[in-house]
Amino acid sequence: MPDPEKRFAEEWRDAAYNCFSSGHKFCREVCPVMQVTRNESWSPTAFHANVVAMEQGSLEVSDVAADYVNCTGCGACELRCPNSLFTGDFYRFRTRTVDLVKGVRSLAVRQGVHQPGWQRWNELTAERTHEPVADGVSQERVRDWAQGLDLTVGGETILFVDCEAAFYRPSVPRSVARVLELAGYKFGLMNEQWCCGGPAAEMGYEDQARRFAEHNLADWRAAGVRRVLVLDPHDYITFTEDYPKYFGESFDIEVVLVVELLAALIREGRLVPHLPVERTVTYHDPCRLNKRKGIWQEPREVLRAIPGLTFHDVDRVSQWSYCSGAGGGLAVEKPELTAKISEMRMGKAAELGVDTLVTACPWAERPLTAAGEARSIGVVDLHELLAESLGVAP
Amino acid sequence: MSYRYQDEMTPPPPERASEVAVTRFEHVYEVDPALMTEHVTQQTFPNWDTLRLVRSRADHLAWMHAHFADKVVSGEELLDDLDR
Ligand code: SF4
Ligand code: SF4
Repeated sequence: MPDPEKRFAEEWRDAAYNCFSSGHKFCREVCPVMQVTRNESWSPTAFHANVVAMEQGSLEVSDVAADYVNCTGCGACELRCPNSLFTGDFYRFRTRTVDLVKGVRSLAVRQGVHQPGWQRWNELTAERTHEPVADGVSQERVRDWAQGLDLTVGGETILFVDCEAAFYRPSVPRSVARVLELAGYKFGLMNEQWCCGGPAAEMGYEDQARRFAEHNLADWRAAGVRRVLVLDPHDYITFTEDYPKYFGESFDIEVVLVVELLAALIREGRLVPHLPVERTVTYHDPCRLNKRKGIWQEPREVLRAIPGLTFHDVDRVSQWSYCSGAGGGLAVEKPELTAKISEMRMGKAAELGVDTLVTACPWAERPLTAAGEARSIGVVDLHELLAESLGVAP
Repeated sequence: MSYRYQDEMTPPPPERASEVAVTRFEHVYEVDPALMTEHVTQQTFPNWDTLRLVRSRADHLAWMHAHFADKVVSGEELLDDLDR
């Protein structure tokens, strides 16, 4: 077995045996990929079992790299796994399937095993310093969404807007900016904003991810930034899990999730949603907020503060909520699988008899909107809905 | 409500709960770290992660309790259902 594989197997062996020996496969039933494919090679269990086989010298990363594409990084498996949910905090040792999947993907890239879609995506991202989410956009236009809003650059607090929202869904950051302005909350924009690097890290292009992170942190430091507001759950993960890993103690930036901030401003009475929004809605928990971070109450708090809304929540353990299929680079490499997962998610919304699915993640919106068309269910962003009720048009 | 590296990576000081366990957060027990250095070493656990697991478990159990079966269904009834 080549050395890198051996070292990798050593690093992950305890967790792998922990899973292999208990093998209850609770994780399977909440895994969105398993739910639509029933392919055992793509189950969280298999991802761990492969490490055991790697350690035994029975397989190499090139044999299984393509299997590891089939994960959205939603984290549901970790929270369904008894080794996390019932003993993880007790032993300070929990199942880390998401990190394992990222690890195998990056091991594959280091060994020269590439997935064609991801390779191209990351080449384009490296070239443009932002993700190739839409045609005809460029680094110079990364702040175009803020046109006419009279926002400054730099300052103690800045708003980081992900590539998908900046180029494809500008009404989301515009809504956020208007709402914060209304509450009298001061913030600026980033000077030269590059991609956060999160998607590169998820697809295994770790060096690129670090390069982007280093650029962004240096840009913040140069502008005297102490606090970064984040509206995209994926960025939130990158800044609170990847950046601390890269920079350790020297990562002295406070990271604030906009939804949490808005819930607090509503609680304090600094924002009072008053215009009724007559819709029957359910809420789509972004995996990165709910399952990965345990943030499911604040978005519901915001929803419940909006008059006129009829809100039907899912009857489910909140942490096992459904995935949109958009995460973890799956949509880049296997769009048909993302579409299937989105359709399944929409089916669950349809069962509740709603006309609108509210999201809080710019990345989930694209596939969910496509799936909603077939069922005449609209998809609306939570920040935009709040802006509407506050009477500030994007 | 926000993430700060120093806050997350500095767990509250442990209080001894038994010979083998300590507590850092109210009602959250942890194996004495001294006992987890040989076969399985502890992972880096930011505070949010511990609290997330605890809250997720509570959420899970609340759901289970809300859906607790309140009647016994006989095998015969189930078979009847299938025949219909
Ligand atoms: S990941 Fe957890 S739930 Fe899934 S098979 Fe392994 S130990 Fe069981
Ligand atoms: S993170 Fe989500 S998609 Fe990936 S294996 Fe776990 S449940 Fe499946």
